Parts: sequence; C-alpha cells; structure tokens
Amino acid sequence: MAKDTSLILMIFLPFIGSAMAAFFPSNARNAEAWLAGAVTVCGLVLASMCYPAIVAEGPVRAQIEWLPTLGLNFTLRMDGFAWLFAMLVSGIGFLVVLYARYYMSPEDPIPRFYAFFLAFMGAMLGIVLSGNLILLVVFWELTSIFSFLLIGYWYHNANARDGARMALTVTGIGGLCLLAGVLLIGHIVGSYDLDVVLASGDLIRSSDLYLPALILFLLGALTKSAQFPFHFWLPNAMAAPTPVSAYLHSATMVKAGVFLMARFWPVLAGTYEWFWIVGFAGMASLLLGAYFAIFQRDIKGLLAYSTISHLGLITLLLSLGSPLGLIAAIFHMTNHATFKASLFMAAGIIDHETGTRDMQRLGGLFRFMPFTATLAMVASAAMAGVPLLNGFLSKEMFFAEAIETHADSILDRVAPYVAVLASAFAVTYSIRFIHGVFFGKLPDDLPREPHEPPFLMRFPIQLLVLTCLVVGIVPGLTIGPFLHTAVTSVLGLATPEYSLAIWHGVTLPLLMSFLALLGGALLYLLLKNYLAHCEEGPPYFRQLKGQRIFERVMVAVSWRGARFLENRLGTRRLQPQLRLLVAVALIAAAWPLYHMSFGLAAFSWNLDDAVFSGLWAIGIFCAVGAAYQAKFHRLVALIFLGGAGLVTCTTFVWFSAPDLAVTQLLVEIVTTVLILLGLRWLPKRSEEFQTDAIRMAARLRRYRDLAIAVAAGGGMTLVAYAVMTRAAPPTIADYFLEKAYTEGGGRNVVNVILVDFRGFDTFGEITVLGIVALTVFSLFRRFRPAPDSVESPEQQRVQNATDEARPDRTAGETVSDYLLIPAVIMQWLFPVIIVLAAYLFFRGHDLPGGGFAAGVAMAAAFILQYLAAGTRWVEDRLRVLPLNWIGFGLLLAALVGMGSWLFGYPFLTSHSQYVELPLIGSIPVASAILFDLGVFSLVLGATVLMLIAFAHQSVRRLRASRIAAAEEETA
Amino acid sequence: MEWTSHLLIAPIVLPLVAGALLLMFDERRHTLKAAISLASVLTLLVITVVLLRFVDSETAMTSVYPLGNWPAPFGIVLVLDRLSALMLVLTSVLALAALIFSLARWHKSGPHFHTLFQLLLMGLNGAFLTGDLFNLFVFFEVLLAASYGLVLYGSGQLRVKAGLHYIAINLAASSLFLIGVSLIYGVTGTLNMADLALRIPAVAAEDRMLLEAGATVLGIAFLVKAGMWPLGFWLPTAYTAAAAPVAAIFAILSKVGVYVILRLSLLLFGVDAGATAGFGSSWLLFGGMATIAFGAIGVLASQAMGRLAGFYVLVSSGTLLAAIGMASVSVTSGALYHMVSSTLAISAFFLLIELVERAQDPAANVLAVTMEAYGDDMDEEEAPEEVGLAIPGTLAVLGLCFVGCALLLAGLPPLSGFIAKFALLTAMIGGNENAAMWVLAALLLLSGLSAMIAMTRAGIRTFWAPIEGTVPRVRVSEIVPVGFLLVLCLVLTVQGGSVMRYMDATAQSLHTPMNYVRAVMSTAQVPGPKAAESQ
Repeated sequence: MAKDTSLILMIFLPFIGSAMAAFFPSNARNAEAWLAGAVTVCGLVLASMCYPAIVAEGPVRAQIEWLPTLGLNFTLRMDGFAWLFAMLVSGIGFLVVLYARYYMSPEDPIPRFYAFFLAFMGAMLGIVLSGNLILLVVFWELTSIFSFLLIGYWYHNANARDGARMALTVTGIGGLCLLAGVLLIGHIVGSYDLDVVLASGDLIRSSDLYLPALILFLLGALTKSAQFPFHFWLPNAMAAPTPVSAYLHSATMVKAGVFLMARFWPVLAGTYEWFWIVGFAGMASLLLGAYFAIFQRDIKGLLAYSTISHLGLITLLLSLGSPLGLIAAIFHMTNHATFKASLFMAAGIIDHETGTRDMQRLGGLFRFMPFTATLAMVASAAMAGVPLLNGFLSKEMFFAEAIETHADSILDRVAPYVAVLASAFAVTYSIRFIHGVFFGKLPDDLPREPHEPPFLMRFPIQLLVLTCLVVGIVPGLTIGPFLHTAVTSVLGLATPEYSLAIWHGVTLPLLMSFLALLGGALLYLLLKNYLAHCEEGPPYFRQLKGQRIFERVMVAVSWRGARFLENRLGTRRLQPQLRLLVAVALIAAAWPLYHMSFGLAAFSWNLDDAVFSGLWAIGIFCAVGAAYQAKFHRLVALIFLGGAGLVTCTTFVWFSAPDLAVTQLLVEIVTTVLILLGLRWLPKRSEEFQTDAIRMAARLRRYRDLAIAVAAGGGMTLVAYAVMTRAAPPTIADYFLEKAYTEGGGRNVVNVILVDFRGFDTFGEITVLGIVALTVFSLFRRFRPAPDSVESPEQQRVQNATDEARPDRTAGETVSDYLLIPAVIMQWLFPVIIVLAAYLFFRGHDLPGGGFAAGVAMAAAFILQYLAAGTRWVEDRLRVLPLNWIGFGLLLAALVGMGSWLFGYPFLTSHSQYVELPLIGSIPVASAILFDLGVFSLVLGATVLMLIAFAHQSVRRLRASRIAAAEEETA
Repeated sequence: MEWTSHLLIAPIVLPLVAGALLLMFDERRHTLKAAISLASVLTLLVITVVLLRFVDSETAMTSVYPLGNWPAPFGIVLVLDRLSALMLVLTSVLALAALIFSLARWHKSGPHFHTLFQLLLMGLNGAFLTGDLFNLFVFFEVLLAASYGLVLYGSGQLRVKAGLHYIAINLAASSLFLIGVSLIYGVTGTLNMADLALRIPAVAAEDRMLLEAGATVLGIAFLVKAGMWPLGFWLPTAYTAAAAPVAAIFAILSKVGVYVILRLSLLLFGVDAGATAGFGSSWLLFGGMATIAFGAIGVLASQAMGRLAGFYVLVSSGTLLAAIGMASVSVTSGALYHMVSSTLAISAFFLLIELVERAQDPAANVLAVTMEAYGDDMDEEEAPEEVGLAIPGTLAVLGLCFVGCALLLAGLPPLSGFIAKFALLTAMIGGNENAAMWVLAALLLLSGLSAMIAMTRAGIRTFWAPIEGTVPRVRVSEIVPVGFLLVLCLVLTVQGGSVMRYMDATAQSLHTPMNYVRAVMSTAQVPGPKAAESQ
C-alpha cells in the first residue's frame, strides 16, 4: 500500500469506525469491541508498515488539497516522533478497547461510548500526524470536544457534567489561544505548512511577534497538558469512566500538550522567555502535583495529580532548551503512558470489584486479587522511579539534566532540589497507593465481595507492565532504536550522544534517586496515620480549590457580569430604542455637515410666499398638536393629523401636482376613517392615575424628547432647504418629461412614471399594500380587546337606556335609527362613487387619476356602505371578496408584466397606441392600462380587507355578548 | 431577448405569482396551499442554483435586466452578479428548510402563512437583485411588510408585543431610508446605483456634505436592519418571539442590511469614489466591533436558547460589518464565507430550538440556572450508580444536531464555522497591522468562546440535566430541514476550496466596481417599436 494512502487511512478509519459504532444496537458490547479493536489494530499495522520508510527516507507525507488559497491543506506527515506517538495512541487504544469491553456495564449504552472513543482516537492521531498547523488546531479542538463527550458519558451524574464542562472550557480556551498563536506563527513564517515552519526557527525567534505568539501557543499547550495554573480540570475529569481516564488522561489527550511543545521545540525553545514560562509551569506542576497526590483519598484523584506532576516533569525537561532534556522528555512521555495507563486500569478493576475507590475504605485486597496487586505494584514502582523499571531510566535522565546549569537563574538553581523533593513525594504517593489498597486491615463494609477480574480485563495491564519491565531492563534493545528515530526526527543533525543504559556508575543522579526513594518511604511512614483519617486534599491547600475558584469566576463572568452588562449596554424597551435611533441618525447626519461647515443660501421673501407660509403654519400647528395630544386624546390627535394631511394636499395643488393631490386626498380620507374605526378598540388612557413624582419624571423625559425632536426636525428642514436652494443637477426626471408622451404614450407624466418608467416600483408598492392588508386582517382575527373597551360605546348605552325607559320604544330602535337620513344618502352614493372611480381610472394615463386613485375612491364607496347600513346588511347583499381582489390584482399585474416576454421584451415593457372606437372616437390604449387595472383591484381589495377586519371585530363582539347574555338567561 | 435572460427576474415574479395564487383559494385548503408553496420554493431553488452556476461560468460576470425596456439610468434595472446570485441561493435554501419545517404544524396555526412567506421571498430576492436605490426601498418595504405579518404569525401576547416593537423600529428606519435616498437624489440626480457610482466622484465639493449626510442616514437605516449596536436591541427579542420557521427565514433578514452595506459601500464609496472613497468604513469597523462585543455578552447572559440565538445574530452581523469596515479583498472574501455559514447555522438552530424546547418544562430551566448560579450544593449530591442512560433515539438525533449548531456558533472545527473564523482571521492578520485589527481578531475569538460557554451550558441543561423531561414528539419532516442545513455546512467545509474560490472571485469583483458599473451602463435597450418611433 502506498505510504500516503496508509496515512490517510490511519486518520479516517477511526472516524468511519465511529460512525459505524453509533448505529449498533445499544447492547452490542462484543460487536462494538470487535469493531473498535479492529480499527485500533489497523492503526497499529498501518503505522508499523510506514516505519521502514521513515527510517530510510525520513518523514512520510500525504496531502489532499482543501483550502489552498488560505494555506490550509489536509497535509499529513509522519516522522519518527509522530510515529512513536501514533503507535502509542493506537496501541494503548487497543488495550483500552479490550479493557472497556469488560469494564463497562451491560446496561451502559455502549454505542455512544465506542463512537466517541474512536472519534477521539482519530482526532488524536490527527494531532500527531498533522503536517499543517491549522489542521493540527482542527484536530486539537476535536480532541477537546470528544473528551468533553467522553467525560460526560455518565451525564446523569452531576460531577461528570461539571467535570466535562470544565475540561471543555479550559481546553477550549486553550485551543482558541493556540489558534491565535498558530495564526501568528503562520503570519511570521508566511506558511502554515509544518515543514516550512520547522525550518524557520530563527525567523520566528527574531520576530517582534515572537513573544505574543509564544504565550498564546503555550497557553494552548499548557491547558491541554493540565499544567499549573490550569491543572484543576484534570482531577475533575476523573468522573469519566475509567477506560476514558486510562486513555485520555494518561496516554493521549494530556500528552497532546507536551507533544506539541516537543514538536515545536526546535523553533520556539531556547529563548529566555520560553525557559521562564515553560520552566515555571513545569516546576510548579511537578512539585504541587506530587504534593497534592499524596493527600488524595480517591485512587483516580491520586493518579490524576500524579499525572499532573509527571507532565510537569516533562514540561520542565522541555523548558531547559538542551537536546538531552528533549530526549529525556520524549522518553518519559512513552514511559509515563505505559505505567499510568496500567495504573488507571488497575484502579478501575479495584473500583469495579469492590465498588469504591476511596483509599480510606480499602485495604488488604492482596489476598483477594494477588495477580492484579502484583501488577499494580510493579507499575507503581515504575511511577516511583524504582530501578529496573522504565520510570527509573527517564527519571535518572531528568536528574542528570536538573543538575546542569542551563540559564543562570533562580529557577535553574532550585531545580535539583525540587526534582529530588518531587520524586520523594512520588515515592510517597506510590507507596500510599499500594499499601493503602492492597495491604493492611481488610475492611468489612465493602459494597461488593472482591475477587480477581476476568483474564482478558487484566491482560492489558499485564502487557503494559511487561513493557515497563522490559524497557526498564534492556532499554537499548527495545525502545532504543525507536526512540532514536523519534529524537533525530525532532532534533535532526543536532542530536547529541546519549545512552539508555541502566548503569552509569555511581553518579550524582543515582544518589539523588536513592535519596528520593528513601525520603519518600520515610515521609510515608510519618504520614501514614494522618493519611488514614485525613480529609480529602492536602493540608493548608484544602480550602483553595481550583475547581471552586473556576466555578465562581465562570458564574461571575459568564452569568452575572454578562447579565449586568447586557442590561447596561442594551434595553428591551421600545421608547429608548426609538430615541436612540433618532439621536444616532441626527448625530451621524450632522457630523459631515458640521465637518464641512454647512452653509445656506440667503433667504429671500416675497408676497406669494406669505399665503403659502400661512398655510404651512397651520400645517405645522396641526402636526405639533397631533404629537402633543397623541398620548391621552387620540381623537383630537387624529383630527390634527387630518389637518396636516390636508395642508400637504394643498401644497401639492399649489405646486401644480394634481395627481398627488387627488391621491393624497383620497388616501387621507380613507386612512382617517379606518383609524377612527380602530380607535374604538383602544383602551382609555387617563392622566389621573399618575402620581406627582411620575408626572414630573415623565415631563422631564418629554422635554428631552422634545429637544431631540426639535433638533431632528430643524435639521431636516435645513437640509431640505439646502437641497432645494442649490442648482439642481441634471436628473433623470428630465428624461421622463421628455419621453413620457413620445415613448410612454401618456401626457400625465406622473402616471407614466408610475405605470411605465418605474412601473416596477409600483408593482412592488402594491404588493406592500396587499401584504399590509393581510397583516392587519390576520392580526385582527386573533384580536381580543382590552376589558374596558369590550362594552358598548357610551352613546349606544345612553340610546339603549332611553329605549328601555320609554314604553313606546323597543330596545335598539334608537341605535338603528341613528343618522337615518345621512345613511340613506350614503347608500345612494354607491353608484355615484363607482362612476367617479371609473372616471378617475380611465383618464389616468393623460390626466390626473389612475388605478390607485380609482381604487381608493372605490374603497370609499364600500366604507360608506358599511358605515351606513352595517356589516350584516352589506354582506347579505354584496359579494365582498377582498382577498380574491388582492390576488387578482397581483396576478393581473404580473401577467401584464410577463406578457411582454411573448414579444421578446423585458418584464413590464409597455405598449401603447390609439384605438378607434365607434361613437367615442380615438382613445389611447396602453398595455399599462391593464396593469393599472391590477393596481385598482389590489388597492380596492386591500382597503376593503382592512375595513372588514374592523367591521368583523364589531360583529364578533356582538356575537360574544349575545352568547354571554343567552347564557345568563338560561342560568 | 432570449428566453433564458428572463430567468433573472424569475426569483421575483415566481414567489409573487405563487403568493397571489394562494390568495385565490380558501383558507382551509391546507394541502393545496402547501403544495403550491412548496412547488414555488423548489422551483426557486432550482432557478437560483442555475443562476449561480451561470454567473460563475460566464466571463461577463454581471448580467443586467432592464425593466420595461428603459435604458439604464432612467429605468429600473436588475443586476445579477456573483454576490446577488449567492444571496439568492442562500435565501431559497433557507426558504426550503423553513417551509418544510412549517408544513408539520406551523402553517396551520394562523391565516395566510404561505402568502406572506412567498411575498417575503419576493421582497428578499428583489432586494438582492435590484440595481436601483429607490427600487431597493420598495423591495425593502415588501420584505418588511411581509416580515411584519410573519413576526406576528401565530399570535400570543409575547409575539404581538415583540412584533409591534419590531414594526415601530423598522417603520422609523424606513423613514430614514427615504430621507437618505431623497438627499442622495437631490445631490446627484439619479437613483441607479451604477450611475451613482459614476456621478459621486464628480459631486461638487460644497455638495459633498449633503451627499455624505444622505449616505449616513441611508446607512443607518440598513444598520438598524443589520442590528448594529446601539440600533439592534429589538433584534433578539423579535427573533426569539417569532415562530420557529419564521425565525429560520429571518436569519437572512439581518443579512439583507449587511448585503446592502457591502454592496453600496464598495460600489459608491469604493476605490474609484474620489474624495468620498472609504466613506464610513471606520464607523463600520468600530460599530461592528461594538456589536460583536454586545452580542457576545448577550449570548453569555442568555438563559433561553432562543435569546441566545438572537444575540448570536448580532455577533454574526457585527463580524460582517467590522469585516466590511476593514475594506480588504481577502477579508471580504472571508466575510462572505462567514455570512453563508452563520446564516445556515442560525437558521438551523432556530428550527432546532423549537423542537428541543417542546419537551421542556419552563420551571426546570429556572431551577437549573439557579442551581448553577449559586453552585453551592453541587458536591453534596450522592454519587449515583454509575451506569449510563441510553438516550432515546429522538434525543440522540436532536443532540447530534445541537452539537452541530454549537460547533457552528462557537466556530469550532470540523464544521464551516471554524473555516469562516479562520478565513477571516488569517486574512486580517495577513493584511495591515494596526491596533483595531488586533482588537477585532481578539473579539472574534472571544465571541466564539462566549458562544461555546453558553451553548455548553444550554446543551448540558437540556440534554444532560437529570431533571426528567419528556422526550419531545418530533416529526421526521421537522428534523430533516435541520439536518439539511447542517449537512450544507458540512459541504461548505469539505468543499471549502471551491467555495472559497467563488468567494474570492466575488470579493474581487466587489472591490473593482467599475466592471459592474460598465455592465449596467452599457446595457442596450431591446430595439422595438419605441426605438423605431423615436427615430
């Protein structure tokens, strides 16, 4: 198989497996395990097959083009270091799959577990094999997401939920930082390709952006590897099922951070900043992790803190900037993965067999599970750094590096002491684990009777422990060559001489090892009694819980703080929003004017203007009056509004725009009547309920609004004046005037513009009218009036009371006789207005009028009928189908528009000519007249639809009150 | 004219005819109405995809349709270029998803749903196609009027209140639109956008302030639509209150404002605009950043998922506005990708929220948040038996969709949200280095973080919290649209290369507006009787 295919398969197989696993039935434990096992074995085989090529020719590559313009391609690259990790990820993955088969309960929904597990493995392999920085971040984030889902696997448990969320938040923030860091690195280098970046170390280190890039990059790596001060998520992630911990929190996810630091070690390391940041984080994690681990009661908690400590060790080694330190770091990564995975599995077995992981409750288990106990002891010894085990070798190398001087600083000087102290702590917690669980008094209150687990559940541990032993005894024959390939792939030609032998003679590091072993054992003896009864957590630091601080900060920032800010920076109320809108528009429009020193033409006055100004004074008075009265006296406001409308109308006449005047007048009439009909349903508002304080505040607010309104209105006036007094530019209107008759076929330019030049605008606007009518209608259908407007109007009540008081009248007679004579006239106006509408319609193309005006006029005829005779009477006699009229109008307009397609012209191209009719003579006929008919139909339909929306509301109310009355009678 | 060239106007005429036709039938004939509506939307999708492929293949990338056969600056023209084709396809995709979703139950819960829906599509398509400023106003009115009807659709006190706020604000914004257009017309004497682009550089120095005042006022009308801080407070409330399918199609409504700003700022105040070149771009940049910040804060502060989604609309708008303010080709290209991705994601999320919340007890929400806010009794809980719960099938599907939405909103890989974020960031960092750029980059990352935190919180509360909720009853036809939109996001990711190529070409042509202007101004009238007459 080609090498690039096998690389691509290595990444995709786990994801394919994950998708398949999701569709298995929930009890298919064996099938799932077989599937996952097969995927992991495939990964192992594929990786192994690439090894000879890597040794012989260097990195194996594969590339699929993805987003080449952005420099993001699906580039995979496996060198020795990546190979080592790929083997680790697949190999331990295989063992964990096997283990999980026995660990997970038959009731657990197993497809979910394996689906997430395999997807996580794919993402982890992706990190390891990525040959593009952005692709690496993609997989990096994926591991965070799948680890979230895996930690939260038992989501009915609150700890699992919190732990999962914390892990995601911390590593997610880290991931964002990493993305930012990687973007900066890519910007410095000019490419996101790993090979290019790895070759540009000097460029990166000398860049101005090195420090921000480094900090962001390290934030990503340190959060992932749970390094101080971001370590707190790892212990909380122990709520995950143990196979997840064994995989994610020993061998893979937490290793991603140190993997990344090692990967970029050649380009980023070696500077003072790197040394300080990485070194401090590593040393703090090493020491604090080990110290905290001693005082855990939960076995998994102990192992989690121990992981933090060991990763701190690796981080510290990487910080030193010496090639030997890097070698030791890589070696310790593999060693830690083997012994920690086996220990997590052992912890899982203990939990599984006894029902608890609390070391204060456990004890004497050696008798029940000697085999498991032996394995755990060996693994713990490796963790403690006992000779003949792999942990010892890398720890020796660590000591050797710790005593070297790398950058003369306080950090460097304390390193040997810290190293010994932390190692002593490691010995202590290892002994505590072994002694506390397997020896001592047998507890009598265990939830279950302990016994050895099934062989296959123990098998992964056996294999891992065997590895610890073999590597520990004959490192040169086992791990040696592979480690060498890995190291040279990172260091290249700079790889120094190093030796993996167990015995280097009596050296200082050996002495330090024994000191640590001895010190650790003594410390355990001292603490033994205290540990048997102490509370969870180390003394003094017990109160300082990273988790709690994190939760508090999260609640403060992401919940309380955010809500506070949202309320401060925003509002949900309408009035402030409108005020803001006007104010922003005012300021924004005034800005350029002020900026470019706005000036006006001189104002001149002549006598003609006096009348017109008087007219406008009335108009202004009406408009202001309408605003002033709008709140409490709606009827008055409406009348004022009508006055202002009439002034507008007169203005159109004044400036010889009869079309606009006619249309405006008709629209004024109809809208005023419709609003009048609507007023009846609005609840009363009264000033009386307000206290003085409220009134005062309201008054101040209104003064402020008045000031804004005056400024906006005044500004608008000035701008309008400025536009009107300047020399007009050549406008498209000239063209319209010129072509209206010659090409548009009409003498009424306004109408020709409306139905021809800009017929498409009209087309849109009639649609708007139709939609508005539909909206009003829909809104009213569900409208339930406020309780205080349900009753009959006062006048009707008085009239009915009169009827009841007088014996010669029956109830309702006065109401029905009310305005009898006007009603008759209004009914008789129906045909008259129809003729008027027809007149307006037909003369439209040459003289003021047109479909719109005709439609409104026709609607007025209907309104009069409804007003005069009532809804019932009208609808018994006329087929009022406004919806169909609207639909017809729109369809007709659209069909007229489409008609021009038949002749090969664009939509709405009009055609006009004169037609000779007998008797009448020559009349102009334009296709636009059909369009105008559509407009007419729609305007009529829309207006009448709104009318009946109001009308039917009254009918509904009557019906409702009648039903209520009927019910009262029967009761 | 050839038959195919009339296809350009079909996205406007087709929904109009469908909407009008729907009015001719009785309200109770639900199946018939649904069939007409669905047929219209499906045809629309096909037509818009054809148009997209057409503009992408053609060497002359801009095609122009003169309405009424009047020559360019005088009559109204429709203009199809890459950007408008993209918006058309996006609209019809959302329309299809929202419509199918509504057919399960929403379309029966009030009058004239389908008509309003079709006319909304007409308004949207018209706004994307038109090349005339006043005609743009008309189509804005069409889509706004239809959106007024739709936001109120389904009634209920909350909806009516939020809907009326929405109407009031947008009416005010429409008046500003008119004022702005009149001022611009008063100074330049034309309404055709391409003609404006030609005339603006020639505007006399003493008239420029009026032009700029007009442009500002006009811009504010669009910014209200896009939801820029401090003009967008109405948006989360209105979108939350709207019925699910309505909110899903509304996802593109805020993008109309962004579209117009993108189009006009580059066309009218682009590189060739002389003294007014680059007008307003720093306002867009800073306003956009403020919007991202406010949106991100709102996302964090949101308890209900609907509000969260509403605030995310602001984040997305802010990102786009700020990106437009950067005025660089590659950033614009990233912004276009972001627009498509975030619109699809928001739409899917609005649909999903309704499905998820169907099963929820509002009281449980409050309780969960209180517990979280006071977080004190967490560890006192007894560790329960460690055996997992099998998620019922429906919940598993909903959960998967939720994860998809969360990834998209938070901009996490592997879905298109990440690509969008990456494209924007890499383009920004690659461009001019200045303080504003770094702040914007940080805001982009932080807004993603806030979405991640908020979505995790909401997701855990909904899917993981042990307070027993009943499993929602969800129909296949309701979950399929959500899946459809999410799969499209996946396609955007996998096909990232070709999508980005399209976006690059779009951004390139937007930043060189002269091609657009030339295409519009050189459109020939179809010779015919009129031409003959006048000769």
